[in-house]
Amino acid sequence: MKRPVAVVGVGQTHHGSRRADVSIAGLVREAVDRALLDAGLEHKDIDAIVFGKAPDMLEGVMQPEQFLVGAVGGHLKPVIRVHTAGSVGASTALTAVTHVASGLFERVLTIAFEKQSEGNAMWALSPNMPFVAPLVAGAGGYFAPYVRAYIARSGAPPHIGPMIAANARDNATRNEYAHLREPITVEDVMNSPMLWDPIRYLDTCPSSDGAIAMIVASEATAKKGPRRPAWVKSGYSYAEAMWVPGRDQVSPRAGKVCVKAVYDGAGITDPWNQIDVAEIYVPFSWFEAMWLENLGFCDVGEGWKVVDRGEQRFGAQLPINPSGGVLCSNPIGASGMLRLGEAALQVMGRAGAHQVEGAKTALGHAYGGGAQYFAIWIVSSEL
Amino acid sequence: MSKLRNVAVVGFAQAPIVACDEHHTAQEMLYPQVRRALADCGVERDAIDYQVAGSADYIDGRPFGFVAALDVMGSWPPRQDLHLEMDAAFAAYYAWLRMQAGDCDSAMVVGYGKVSEGSPEHVLNLQLEPYYLAAIGLDVKSTAALQASAYMARSGATDDDLAEIAAHNRAAGARNPDAQVRQAATAEELRRTPWAVQPLRTGYLPPVGESAVCLILAAEGKAEKLCSQPVWIHGLDQRAEMQALGGRDLSRSASTALAAQKALAMAGLSRADEVDLLELSAATPAEEMIVREAMGLDAKGSTRPAINPSGGPLTGHPILMTGLIRLGEVFRQLSGGAGAHAVAGARRGIAHASQGHCLQHNLVFVLGRERRWS
Repeated sequence: MKRPVAVVGVGQTHHGSRRADVSIAGLVREAVDRALLDAGLEHKDIDAIVFGKAPDMLEGVMQPEQFLVGAVGGHLKPVIRVHTAGSVGASTALTAVTHVASGLFERVLTIAFEKQSEGNAMWALSPNMPFVAPLVAGAGGYFAPYVRAYIARSGAPPHIGPMIAANARDNATRNEYAHLREPITVEDVMNSPMLWDPIRYLDTCPSSDGAIAMIVASEATAKKGPRRPAWVKSGYSYAEAMWVPGRDQVSPRAGKVCVKAVYDGAGITDPWNQIDVAEIYVPFSWFEAMWLENLGFCDVGEGWKVVDRGEQRFGAQLPINPSGGVLCSNPIGASGMLRLGEAALQVMGRAGAHQVEGAKTALGHAYGGGAQYFAIWIVSSEL
Repeated sequence: MSKLRNVAVVGFAQAPIVACDEHHTAQEMLYPQVRRALADCGVERDAIDYQVAGSADYIDGRPFGFVAALDVMGSWPPRQDLHLEMDAAFAAYYAWLRMQAGDCDSAMVVGYGKVSEGSPEHVLNLQLEPYYLAAIGLDVKSTAALQASAYMARSGATDDDLAEIAAHNRAAGARNPDAQVRQAATAEELRRTPWAVQPLRTGYLPPVGESAVCLILAAEGKAEKLCSQPVWIHGLDQRAEMQALGGRDLSRSASTALAAQKALAMAGLSRADEVDLLELSAATPAEEMIVREAMGLDAKGSTRPAINPSGGPLTGHPILMTGLIRLGEVFRQLSGGAGAHAVAGARRGIAHASQGHCLQHNLVFVLGRERRWS
């Protein structure tokens, strides 16, 4: 990047199954108001706006950012709308970073949202492509075979996914914004109905309404701000083709290439020991073990063992998803930016009851498509 | 503002615009354009650092329509990538920003989408505010007619003026092999076409179509190696307006005016008529008059600078590709590849992109044959 970029404000909504108290514009505005307040800025201070969300079919509005321009103070400002499937919230924040890094913008407002109660996510995520047999099984039906492949390769025992799900719920009890805040046990998960073998009902993320907004700014603005900023050390988004023979969806090459670029950019050579906390995209419990390997936190086949030893729990060596993550709140288009925003809050020292003590370096991650799109950043408490 | 890098358009390929390509998927339409654009630059896919696409799920009639394009864009090994749910001209804008940030030296920009998969009238209705406005059933023809009425009431423009603008575009489109409508029509003939929605006649509305576009951008140092006559970006800016149709003056385009002013200033120009040609994403003659006026040009009638030598959207309007095609057309004109519709001696041009109802969101590029910054 040509010049330093920092997160100077973060605002998120309370997440829920149905935020019937607000329209889409009201939901987005709630996050934007909190982010501006957090940064000590006003609408007039914002130079450009970067929107992201997952498929427009989730709410049934084509390019909803167009009608939202007025609601977020965007009149006569530059506006961009990103869509990179499930990774979109994260790639949206990185697009805002590019705006500032280019030298043309000082303060950029970036917003990601989903109001899933306005539509039917299961339908919207079941693309019926011309000339391809329809799966109509949502994301769980798509990803279950790769979870089975992971288990077959690694020999992971059946309680690993349920351990991850129970840990996520435990973490979310400390996050006031989370959608699902009721604790569950490993037994609860293992006794819940099987949806897509081996993914059970409680291994699965909820369908949420929610939004997050952040303000990304130049060094000069960050140093003037009321609070300690989160400095963006490195961030990249990568994608890979769908129909490549031998493409590995258990540990996609795009994820490995992306995280290597991010680590190289941030000077990370030993991620397990150099990173203090990570927010990663885990819509189905087993993916936490899978991503631990793909992100280079451990060797291939070792991800489930890290979980089994509890080394990724809150208070342990490398807390993963102390917010509760996607398993406890999943407004799809916002979920990726929530991962990056939570990573920023951790290094700002403002993650509330789920703050990881002394966190200086944090990773935020999201993936999307058929495990094809990846967007990752590293943020730090120091420039 | 810190020092800007010179970035140029170095390659462009476009599928001819058609109402419906029954024989190809969107990806099959795009693939030959990717190959042609790379071949024009004399490189393989690995030589390009970054890729960014513009398309919309609702145009394809399915979620994640853009995922399938990764394959034809050559995304293996994995590529640095972004997709915008926008007119693909905004993808070119973003690629330029990315080069200013110093993260890449070249980028592939693609636009695609098959509007024939669905009903454009219903799809574009869904761009409107969902709770009150979309529910009325307003479509893009009706909102364009509201805007045309507002403009005519303020400016005194007549049905004859609209017919003249439409006829001018139709005459130009007859010389463009990629245009969807290639039959010239006189103003008199167009003025006798029936009302679509008053004050717009069917002859004043664009033929909605589909295409696929690939454009290659490169920064100084690389651009000269990929193209014998790179077309340099001298200035650019984009602005959105609130959608609320009752909350803005529909007879003017404040966002176009501001974007043009900023883009021209970046290019070191003070007036839009200092360029030789403009390609405008105006979907009706009234929109063209509003955009011309917003840029400080005569609203009608002038021959210099040339307006829409390709025929413009009135001779082919592939939704969310129309803007990127304008950029490609200016590249063709300034690099000497415009063929029968070339503007003789053109050295500078403006490409304009617009998306949303009633010119809601506008992007202006100022381009030239010489590098802007030394």
